Amino acid sequence: MKKTLATIIKEWILFKRDIAGLMLLFIMPAILIVVMALVQDAPFKDYQEMRFDLLLADNDGGSLAQEIKEGLRHSKNFHVIDSIDGHSLSDRELKALLLTGKYKVGIEIPKGATAEVANSANTIANNLSKKLGLGGSLPVREHRANMYIRMYFDPVAKPTFRTSLNFALDKYITYACSNELIKRVSKLSKLEGDSSADEDFGKVFEGVGLKEEALNDKGSYTKYMNSVQHNVPAWAIFGIFFIVVPIGGHIIREREEGSALRIELIPNAHISVAFGKIMFYTMVCTLQFIVMCCIGIWVMPLLNLPPLYLGAHPAALLPMAFAIGFAATSYGYFVGTIFKTTNQALPFGAISIVIFSAMGGIWVPIELLSPAMQKIAMLSPMHWALDGVHELILRNGNLQDILQNIIFLLCFGLCLWLVSIYKYNKRGHSVQ
Amino acid sequence: MPFAIEINKLHKQYKGSWSPALDGLSLNVKENHVVGLLGPNGAGKTTCINILCGLVEPGEGQATIFGKDCVKDTLAIRRMTGVVPQQIALFYNLTAWENFYYTGRLYGLADKTIKEKGQNLLERLGLDKHADKRVGRYSGGMKRRANIIASLLHEPQLLILDEPTAGVDVQSRAMILNFLKEYHSKGNTILYTSHLMEEAEQICDEVVIIDEGKFVISGSPKELVANTADCKRLEDVFLHYTGHSVRD
Repeated sequence: MKKTLATIIKEWILFKRDIAGLMLLFIMPAILIVVMALVQDAPFKDYQEMRFDLLLADNDGGSLAQEIKEGLRHSKNFHVIDSIDGHSLSDRELKALLLTGKYKVGIEIPKGATAEVANSANTIANNLSKKLGLGGSLPVREHRANMYIRMYFDPVAKPTFRTSLNFALDKYITYACSNELIKRVSKLSKLEGDSSADEDFGKVFEGVGLKEEALNDKGSYTKYMNSVQHNVPAWAIFGIFFIVVPIGGHIIREREEGSALRIELIPNAHISVAFGKIMFYTMVCTLQFIVMCCIGIWVMPLLNLPPLYLGAHPAALLPMAFAIGFAATSYGYFVGTIFKTTNQALPFGAISIVIFSAMGGIWVPIELLSPAMQKIAMLSPMHWALDGVHELILRNGNLQDILQNIIFLLCFGLCLWLVSIYKYNKRGHSVQ
Repeated sequence: MPFAIEINKLHKQYKGSWSPALDGLSLNVKENHVVGLLGPNGAGKTTCINILCGLVEPGEGQATIFGKDCVKDTLAIRRMTGVVPQQIALFYNLTAWENFYYTGRLYGLADKTIKEKGQNLLERLGLDKHADKRVGRYSGGMKRRANIIASLLHEPQLLILDEPTAGVDVQSRAMILNFLKEYHSKGNTILYTSHLMEEAEQICDEVVIIDEGKFVISGSPKELVANTADCKRLEDVFLHYTGHSVRD
């Protein structure tokens, strides 16, 4: 224990003298989480919380166009622009503006759209009237094909955005058509002298609605995923694992300089020294995670981002961070031990971390990966790390809920450490 | 007089090497003697030291230090042996004191003991005024001297040095050699390798010349010079037995 403590003290002295190393370990991940949270803020809002300028060329001027405009105006997501410089937007102007790239979406309502809806409604109302024996009849003409409300998107618009606008418009059109139909049926009913029909038909739209509730299996509130909730822990974990680079370099440098030989020549020192080194850097990683969480809580709101929510059991993040740090540090120790030179170790360490992070859901949430990739992700320690942190901060989990993650990470670290010691002992040492 | 080191028919061949590094080497080092292990490049000096301090396992043969087997009793051997490697085995970003405290603590020494011994050795090797400087800022000679101190903190009975004066200036070399003489005068055994025959002549009770992994000859420098025809210096003896051809 004394040897381990001596190593921790020695590492602390070396650490505080290495300002560049300190910068790498704390400032760079801090910049990374801030930049990633800002960059991914919009994609994480997934167009649900964002307000877009939507160009609308109304060639119809009827109730359908009005219904669509009203619907879009009441939506939180769109700011409808249907006139420029006091005059209504034409099809040509709409397309020209979209081509500039300033606007992402435009809608063109064709002339006669309302009339077409009214004609369809009249046809259906007449059929209903005939079947119900109401007797009345409304004027109809032949149905016109190729009557479309056209949507134009900037090429960069995400498919999910296109789909959601498609659904929204479909809803408004359906509502307008239903409204027209109700009006027609109501009109025919009135012919038969039923004055209360208007009110009753209107209740069709007040039926069963949808209400979203967010609960977990403990019945408590679940935090919604947002850019900060994903990016702060994800990139903090990425930053922690990047400790592989300095540790790997450190181990090789000590070997090349000869100080590792000094340790080798001291009886029973190597394992204690390795343990002390791993413990020290594990503590650094834990501190790094705490600092990143503090940035998430206090710095993110200054950048108009939501603050990081630490879940119902924030204290459970500490053992989680410790396990992540242990896994990352052991991996660094492993890389530094199995490779002979920094030219081999550093690129391998850095690239393998990027691969682990891509596999483990750091870049994109694992739920978006293919089923095969989701299985492969289980091999990445970063998946276990991120999953554990998400369990705490999104699903309000407690220590028991993340035990499996902690055990996996500790086992991962321990295995690498044992392999490193084996490899170290197999490696030839020389006084020269 | 009992032997501090007994080496019996040591054989070692490294993987991928055409010729053995050690080819049945046998030699003994008496207690309280300063013995110089001399040989041209590739003679097997460093391999021999590596086996003695348990860093490398021999293929065949046996080596013991104070009766302890170098393969089976590595821990005991490391406790009673101080090894000064050719490399500067120190942390360059730590001061000399920080290096000594760390090394001493790893040997299980109390801080008070480290301080006393460290101070004494620093003074004797002329580093006491520089002990709070980082080792990385030391000159070559200072690094060599600090390297020796770090190997002596645990008071080993046997000191093994691998070319301790390589690349140092005359003043530093003189200080190191004087220190080794003084250390030997206190009853300690020293085995050291060097390419500098003058140096070996100056401090060694006995020299052992090895070549191509084999024992060639041993004896006191004076004896060897006297008993070898046409030789006036140890260097002549060395060339007489190992030849003039350049080694790779």
